[in-house]
Amino acid sequence: MSRNRTRIAACLLTAGLAFASLSAHAADEIVIGASLPLSGPLAGFGNYQKWGYETAVNDLNKAGGLSVGGKKMRVKLVIRDDKTDPSVVASNTETLISREGALAMLGSCTPALVNAGALVAERRKVPLVAGCDPLGAFKSVRKWQYAWVMFFDEGDLATAPFKMLAELGLQTNKKVAILHDNGPDGQVVGGMIWPDTAKAGGYTVAQKTSFPVDTQQFTTMIAEAKATGADIALVDAIPPQAIAIRKQMASAGYKPKVLVMEKGAEPEQFAMALGKLADGVLVGGYWDPSFPYPGAAELGKRYETETKQTQSQHIADSHAAAQVLLDAIAAAGSLDREKINAAIARTNKSYVIGPVKFDAANTSRIPITVMQWQAGKSVVVWPKDRANGKLIFPLPAN
Amino acid sequence: MPNLEVVANSLVSGVLLGGVFALTALGLSITLGVMRLVNLAHGELLVGGSYLGYFLLRHTGIDPIAGLALVGAAMALLALPLQWTLIAPLAAKGMEAPMITMFGVSVILQNLFLLAFSADTRAIDTPYAARAITLGPVTVAEIYLIGFAVSVVIVLLVHLLISRTPFGRELRASSSDAAAAAAMGVDVRRVHALTFALGAACAAMGGVLLGTAFSFTPSSGGTYLLISFAVVVLGGIGNIFGTLVAGIVLGLLQSLGAVIFGDGYRDLVGLVLFLLALALRPSGIVRRAGHS
Repeated sequence: MSRNRTRIAACLLTAGLAFASLSAHAADEIVIGASLPLSGPLAGFGNYQKWGYETAVNDLNKAGGLSVGGKKMRVKLVIRDDKTDPSVVASNTETLISREGALAMLGSCTPALVNAGALVAERRKVPLVAGCDPLGAFKSVRKWQYAWVMFFDEGDLATAPFKMLAELGLQTNKKVAILHDNGPDGQVVGGMIWPDTAKAGGYTVAQKTSFPVDTQQFTTMIAEAKATGADIALVDAIPPQAIAIRKQMASAGYKPKVLVMEKGAEPEQFAMALGKLADGVLVGGYWDPSFPYPGAAELGKRYETETKQTQSQHIADSHAAAQVLLDAIAAAGSLDREKINAAIARTNKSYVIGPVKFDAANTSRIPITVMQWQAGKSVVVWPKDRANGKLIFPLPAN
Repeated sequence: MPNLEVVANSLVSGVLLGGVFALTALGLSITLGVMRLVNLAHGELLVGGSYLGYFLLRHTGIDPIAGLALVGAAMALLALPLQWTLIAPLAAKGMEAPMITMFGVSVILQNLFLLAFSADTRAIDTPYAARAITLGPVTVAEIYLIGFAVSVVIVLLVHLLISRTPFGRELRASSSDAAAAAAMGVDVRRVHALTFALGAACAAMGGVLLGTAFSFTPSSGGTYLLISFAVVVLGGIGNIFGTLVAGIVLGLLQSLGAVIFGDGYRDLVGLVLFLLALALRPSGIVRRAGHS
């Protein structure tokens, strides 16, 4: 009996020590948590973000760490995979705060994931900075106090193709086919802003169809778009669906003159999976290494050297989000979350993503550009003052 | 309601795609019919085939359709040790233990794909994947037509293998009564191993076709597993001809559902049919003419 008790006590002690080692961190160490989509449909974004967050933190640690109240502290970044699932983001955020002792959080990607984590952070009064959540979808959830987002506004993104068509004088039959997923941003961009902007600009919305985010077959929807003869196709879908839709458009013989694929056409895997079929596809963008922001060119080059992959704008928004948070902790001069939150609110500085200054809704707007895939490279084609390539028009025949 | 041309395109595409569903479901059907194995890793074997086709094209330049037999053979060889080590030892322990084991295999395979190939979305990029064929008022994807033709040929070949060869005779005997077959000298363990390998090969070849027509990620298998289950239940477990008919019927009805309710409701139509078939005709919609 007593031997059993000894064994049980030993097991409990071992488990306790193991648990303590999981949650403990050094006194001169700050823990920052992040839940990212490293697997699932949005993994294409999560891997860029991981690099951006890690690079900002590693650079800071190499430079001696973060200066807080005259004391140098190392920053430990703890990242958990949320599998592109909002409920996992919520539980990850809870775990990172309560078990890992995260002082502050960095956000995931897309409204569904960022907002899920932000709601937990808000409840726990833990500052969270994110850079991959369109502002309208973020602001629509609630009046935020502890969550901060710097990204583009859906209104800017959705109106950009129409502004580009008008400015460049591109000739189309002014018929628009809108195909969008029924996720939060898909419904805002595809369900509301695109149709409204099209009508206001004198375009005819010949088709508007929504679909769930796990569908792969779009035969009927594309046949309908083709039957309308719309010269402009606007698609809002995540990468697996965007790739499937582009292939099925080609194999159905539907050749619009302008093809915009928001979200899905952003990561490099879109162009890699589609080859020549990606050429000419447009997608809203907000960053390129050629932009005149501090460290932009270096960051893009560094990513490509280190990973042997083409850079993405998500390395910039994630890198900047991490820097905004780290700067705020230093500016607060304290590990008090309220003071850090107040310091984030005071941010007014130019980062790799551009100038960051939060408004009353805790958002900082990044101006939008239009990018186009050309021979496997993403090229900025609009507005003229930022373009680093010439628009291919109409969409090339495959 | 869409115009007639759209309806015709959708329905013909549905029939053609249904042929591919039949091929992907065939593997599940025969392992269930012969081994009583609910192979919950079937979707991952299918995705494994997509990856094999993708890398075959990328590294050797071999067209994935031309190399379909190669992919099937490779997957069969990979599946054999899986059967020997994980499924065969559980053969006498009822249906639950192998089913749970295959669920574990499914999770492990998904994670292995993730580790080996990253979570990136991929697609097998061939010229015919993006070409259209127009026959009068109907325009369909060339890959759907190729997929249908290839699938029907493979399904017929499997039918011939099972109905006209000594292995097929042993397989049918093992399916009807494994104990009696063993008493008559049939090596049931060998038959089960080869059946599992054949099922995996069919799934992998279906995966090549679907990976060419659509896109895939390490976690794409789940959707196709559900479709395959619906086809197996509609067609009757172990019924090869029934599987082919059920695949085509499911493809057609899914497309009809898409025409009426939109593309997003294809799977809903499939699952409703699955439940209806389970409730009303659990032995399948196709009358069994003879052996599986």
